[in-house]
Amino acid sequence: MRVLVAVAALGGALLVALALAAPHLAQASPVVVVSTLAACVAVAALAVQPWLTRRRVGAHVRVGGIVAALVAVHVVALVVESPDDALYSMSPDGPTRARMALFATVLLVVVTLLGLLRRRLPWSAATWRFVHGSLAGLVVVLGVGHAVIIQGALDGWGEAVLVVLGGLGAVGVVVRLVRVLRRPATPPGDTTAHDRGQVRTEDEARG
Amino acid sequence: MPTTRTGPHPLAVGAVVLLVAMIAAALWNSDESGTGARQVGESAGAVAAPVAALPPPLPGASCAPTVTNPGGDNNYREDAPFDVPLGRGLVVTGLVRDTACRPLPGVPVQVWLQTALGSERENRTTVLTGPDGRYRVSTDPAVAQFGEPNVHVAHDPDDSPWRSVWQRHVLRADDTLAVVDLTLAPVS
Repeated sequence: MRVLVAVAALGGALLVALALAAPHLAQASPVVVVSTLAACVAVAALAVQPWLTRRRVGAHVRVGGIVAALVAVHVVALVVESPDDALYSMSPDGPTRARMALFATVLLVVVTLLGLLRRRLPWSAATWRFVHGSLAGLVVVLGVGHAVIIQGALDGWGEAVLVVLGGLGAVGVVVRLVRVLRRPATPPGDTTAHDRGQVRTEDEARG
Repeated sequence: MPTTRTGPHPLAVGAVVLLVAMIAAALWNSDESGTGARQVGESAGAVAAPVAALPPPLPGASCAPTVTNPGGDNNYREDAPFDVPLGRGLVVTGLVRDTACRPLPGVPVQVWLQTALGSERENRTTVLTGPDGRYRVSTDPAVAQFGEPNVHVAHDPDDSPWRSVWQRHVLRADDTLAVVDLTLAPVS
């Protein structure tokens, strides 16, 4: 786990360094710089996010909030920089990359709300985990995917780092989903059916 | 402790699978660079044909008017400086014609794009077409703006006998030539 966090932190630092070193940001307005750097950090956070569901649910919740805030900064900064281009990108006529980003953003809102409303939803733990996890996987693939195909601050080596971080996050989603969904279910009628907001993993259950 | 396994609700699985399929379809059906935006740089085969090579339009010929594409008027401003060079390294040019395919001389055309030194909101100029109906703007090379280098070309003076039209097309950062032709329809 520590290795994963270290890899993601290193990746995030690399993204920030590569973006700042790229000619693309050399003449860019501070708003664009802020938007780009917020997105770089968000990608690194997304890479560790699924792995944190194992024993570190508190951190998972906090990092989730940070990702949502960073993406909000990223999007709002782009709207401030150029409302015309930002609104065009979010329209049905926007380029493929913008459509990926739009879907990823909407899904991130849904995934965050699912996290906040976990205890209020009358869903079984398995259903909640499947929906939250699979939609989060889409967020990683679409969000990092749009960053990879976009031309700008992160081309060349930046794309390679993005793919590694995105891959780390996507593999994490699949590994964790398979793991938690294979686990024996909580018996019906158990008052802890929804875990009261705490994901009790099999690792904890074992010892 | 019973060890029965309950998976996610089938409805939830179905909804997620349907959502993935819808997203895939929406991405598959989108235009890579935005609806109606095409590659106009020479790397994509764009060539400004020499005027001498253009045959005069046949009587009765008709050219389809250029249609404003989505995003065409992004960051458009009427008050562009007249005929100022925007740098060097890229030439944006094109032939302006009427719907009878006749070249239109003396027609104002505005060009704006993002370069290394100027954002798309500041970097603009208006030029007139020459006797051959062509406009020509010299500029620094285009740089990626919102994910891809793009160039805007428009015709929108208040008192023009031609209908306003705005275009947004894409090119590559290393293109040295971009060609955006316009076919203008009369106002009435």
